[in-house]
Amino acid sequence: MLVSQNWIEQFTTIPNDITPEKLGEDLTLHVVEVEDVIDEAKFLDKIFVGRVASVQKHPNADKLNICTVEFGEAHPAQVVCGGSNVTEGMLCAFGALGAKVRWHGEGDLIELKKAKIRDAESYGMICASDEIGLGEMFPKGDEKGILDLSDMNLEVGKPLAEALGLEDVVFDIDNKSMTHRPDLWGQYGMAREVAAMYGQALKKYEPPKIGKKNGNWKLEIDAQDKEACPRYMGLVVEGIEVGESPEWLKKRLMAVGVQSINNVVDVTNYVMLELGQPMHAFDASQIAKGKEQVAITVRKAEAGEQFVSLDDKEFVLTTEDLVIATDDRVIALAGVKGSNNSGVTDETTTIVLESANFDAVTVRRTSMRHGLRTDASTRFEKALDPHTAELAMRRAVELLKQVCPNATLSSTLCDQAEFSLDQGPIELDTDFVRRKMGVDLPTKDMQRILESLGFGVKAKKQVLHVTVPTWRATKDVAIKEDLVEEIARMYGYDNIESVLPAFPITPPVRNPLRELETSLRQLFAYEAGYTEVSNYSFVSPELIEKTGSSIESHIKLSNPVAKDRPYLRRNLVEGMLQNVESNLHRFDVVRLFEIGKVFRNDKKGEEDGIGGQLAKQDTLIALAYAAKGDENPFAEVSTRFAEVMDRLGAAVVYKKAATPHDFVHPGRTADVYIGDMQVGHVAEVHPMVREALGVDARSAMLEVNLNLLLDHVSDESSYNPLPQYPSVERDIAFLVDTTVQHDDIAAFLIESDVLTTNVELFDVFQGEGVPEGKKSVGYRITYRSDEKTLEGGEVDAVHEKIIENLTKKFDATVRT
Amino acid sequence: MKDKLSKLQKEFEKGLKNVSELLHLEELEQEYFGRKAGKLTLLGKEMKDVSKDMKKEIGQLMNDVRTSIVGAVDAKRSELQREAMSKIAETERIDVTQPQLPKKERGHIHPMMQGLQDMIDVALSMGFLVEDGPELESQHYVFDALNFAPDHPAREGMDTFYIEGKPELCMRAHVSNMQVRLMKKYNEGGTKAVRAAYPGRVFRNEALDATHEHTFYQFEALVVDKTISIANLTAVMKEFVSGLYKRDVPIRFRPGHFPFTEPSFELDIKADIGRGEEWLEMAGCGLIHPNVLREAGYDPDEWQGLAFGMGLNRLVMVKHGIEDIRHFQSGDLRFLKQF
Repeated sequence: MLVSQNWIEQFTTIPNDITPEKLGEDLTLHVVEVEDVIDEAKFLDKIFVGRVASVQKHPNADKLNICTVEFGEAHPAQVVCGGSNVTEGMLCAFGALGAKVRWHGEGDLIELKKAKIRDAESYGMICASDEIGLGEMFPKGDEKGILDLSDMNLEVGKPLAEALGLEDVVFDIDNKSMTHRPDLWGQYGMAREVAAMYGQALKKYEPPKIGKKNGNWKLEIDAQDKEACPRYMGLVVEGIEVGESPEWLKKRLMAVGVQSINNVVDVTNYVMLELGQPMHAFDASQIAKGKEQVAITVRKAEAGEQFVSLDDKEFVLTTEDLVIATDDRVIALAGVKGSNNSGVTDETTTIVLESANFDAVTVRRTSMRHGLRTDASTRFEKALDPHTAELAMRRAVELLKQVCPNATLSSTLCDQAEFSLDQGPIELDTDFVRRKMGVDLPTKDMQRILESLGFGVKAKKQVLHVTVPTWRATKDVAIKEDLVEEIARMYGYDNIESVLPAFPITPPVRNPLRELETSLRQLFAYEAGYTEVSNYSFVSPELIEKTGSSIESHIKLSNPVAKDRPYLRRNLVEGMLQNVESNLHRFDVVRLFEIGKVFRNDKKGEEDGIGGQLAKQDTLIALAYAAKGDENPFAEVSTRFAEVMDRLGAAVVYKKAATPHDFVHPGRTADVYIGDMQVGHVAEVHPMVREALGVDARSAMLEVNLNLLLDHVSDESSYNPLPQYPSVERDIAFLVDTTVQHDDIAAFLIESDVLTTNVELFDVFQGEGVPEGKKSVGYRITYRSDEKTLEGGEVDAVHEKIIENLTKKFDATVRT
Repeated sequence: MKDKLSKLQKEFEKGLKNVSELLHLEELEQEYFGRKAGKLTLLGKEMKDVSKDMKKEIGQLMNDVRTSIVGAVDAKRSELQREAMSKIAETERIDVTQPQLPKKERGHIHPMMQGLQDMIDVALSMGFLVEDGPELESQHYVFDALNFAPDHPAREGMDTFYIEGKPELCMRAHVSNMQVRLMKKYNEGGTKAVRAAYPGRVFRNEALDATHEHTFYQFEALVVDKTISIANLTAVMKEFVSGLYKRDVPIRFRPGHFPFTEPSFELDIKADIGRGEEWLEMAGCGLIHPNVLREAGYDPDEWQGLAFGMGLNRLVMVKHGIEDIRHFQSGDLRFLKQF
């Protein structure tokens, strides 16, 4: 919203030492966020109303003219001008030497200096509107057009700012910062805050009361839905002559960014901008029931009822929409927009003025439902004070009489009102205020601040009985904490000295899950070389199908942002497989991990606060790896994970998966165990799934539930004293069936004798020289005794025994 | 004997002059000091034939010669060693700019998680417990318990995602759902102070473009105790901001509005993000609304609280100069490998 300093000053005084910048800053610190302070005259220094006295073609340039311009000096100035519309006698915006302009409306401001253009001297510039910051006020017709002021009857030689009356400063307020303040949506409300900030008096807003009628129009109003329409005021005014608004009115509207339309519409807009109360004017003749008779109903629309707006757009209404209607048709969408069959036209002579109060939620929903946001709906949806409707009506009549001298009230003022506001009083303990602020503020200061904002205050000992003004009572101020805010913001947050609260120095409760996440991030990124991704929680049915899951098991959004991703993810690997696919186009090796929540309906999660339980939302970690040319990516993933788990004090065991999922390669999949607890899965992705998703390298994925893992990690490391006696190592290589598992061999070896203290796989080979269906494996066994130094013979005996047993157990053939 | 010694010394000096390599020096040394056939060793054996009265003089002379030769050999050795070392600059030269091969790829933590971790670290250092909770949440914890009116605009389907068949559930639109959860979990029926921070992922029904995401991250924290004032809030915020940026950053408070705090503030920080110093919106904060305290089981006449929260995406984007918010969820290694 734009706020005009001149308009504010109509109601209060801004102290002389307050610059526009300071006012903007103070408003930001005490009231609402000012995004920009726009000084209208800032760009117009040394720019005058000029008259083009002569135009001659430039001898050396086709598209340039040499002109002389009168601008109040004794001698006209010669300038070179490229304007396509320059003509002798036209009034223009003349930039004299020293003026600052923006060439073609772009870039930085440039100071005009004496120049030679194609050998012709030029002493200034005839400006286009966007070159002097007036592009919005005077839109350019032609790209090369200069600003033509001939129609405006301006005095040649006058500074342009003065001639156009551009001496206002405008504040651009962030609308989001005042959604809770219905009273600030007009200039007067803003003036009240300014007056309170600077301790200045605020002029009372008291337009004359509505006088006696002087006509025969009969106006009937039937506001049926009191909840949606707590107040509806109507008044017929005759003697209207629709025409152009006076300059002062146009200027005010222009300053706050509203286009002038005609005197009647401008008056309703003016009142809205000043008070924040939207108004509407109907053409009485268009909505009349009979001779000099209008009957208006405020009601909910019928399902499917048609409405055509002022700008000829058609809408189909629902029973939730509130409409203003005559017997036979809808003439306005209440609080949003008027219709094209009832508005003021050039022929209008009698109007019905509407000043009403509509329910905020009804207006907001209608506005959203139909995608119709207007200045009126924006204001109504903030919950306006019904009292303001009357002030607005009085002000509108006052102004109408100014712009249409023959205007007369032709009906009695109809006022259907049924509302009540809770104005308190709120009991405010002044000590409570001091405690909440952390400031020893005197009671009289609290009282002064509240009263300056329109609150009624009665002090009884240390308790203030505070009456809330009607314009703050609709939803904004209701409890004593609200009053603390009023006092504190006006006192100034920057004036409150910061005091750290007295905390006990006990360390916070630990959060093992978060600590685990942090460790895993560090270890996978900085030790294992994996890069963290973050995927959406939403997945598409196509992805679910391609990866072989059932759609029914997924929780579905009722209003997904992207219609193609309506489901909540049940795992992380599906999303990561897409990451693998896209990254493999650019990288030969892709190592990714993600930590995130998944959503599973079939298990109960945390309580929902209303007697039920939410879906389970465990935190998972997933790894994904693919490298062009790596035919066994499974090993990379399973090994890296086991290494990281080893750092976290957990021993991982991979067991061949009992019932492989469709997603995975049936020969390359395992369940991930820690102790007896299954914590996840690891697998190579099924070749068919890879093909469906366009992944062109073998890919392996691992997914583990951190909530399950949590119980098995520890930051304790087990230390063994260094051995007293040396160890002896022996290697053994043999052939076994490929179906024989490493884990079984290793377990057998380590358990085969008390002297075997370690078993390490150092080689696996299949291929040339190894029979089909067999693999050659090599293990290094470490022998050691805790009691003595082992003799070679002792070790040989044990080793021979082990080889013998191994041969039997696994049908192994020892290679020599 | 004297002549033999002086002849030997001269002979040695001559020999030493011709030595230019360590190996030759060792040969020369051997020639004179060899245990069996060393020239000096052999002369030493002749000492027994020297007359008694000459023994002292000759012995002295022999010692001098020995010392002189040993000294000369040592000097020559260090000289030759120095010479040899001076050459390794050439002979053992490597390309210092060449990286080790094969290249070892390091991994990267997601920039958003790094940003979150920075905040978590500051919060932990200030004694806040840190805990996240459900992302799929009941309207109760997302809105009702936080003093949102039943018809509050944030509840509209244009803002918040809802669950099909379960209208009471939604994807949380802010991490504030953790306010009442954590207060209830740790306040022992409204009898204990709580200091908690709760970072996490949130969802809003927004169409995607370079500056709008439907999935983003927030960080929030609260303190409930028996005396909590605006003065405390500003102090905690100052500490938090300077902890995060590791220096004193100018901050300011201005009026704001949130249903769950009263009074409410916006916190701006003064920073230069390439356009000169300016005030940038950083966080929302306020004193916890009495209705929210009540929901958590506190008596608001006895307990007060402060809360502050901020969106992570914009802060992380500003920090790194990231131009498009969609990169965060893209899974694109070209983006992720830069952090």
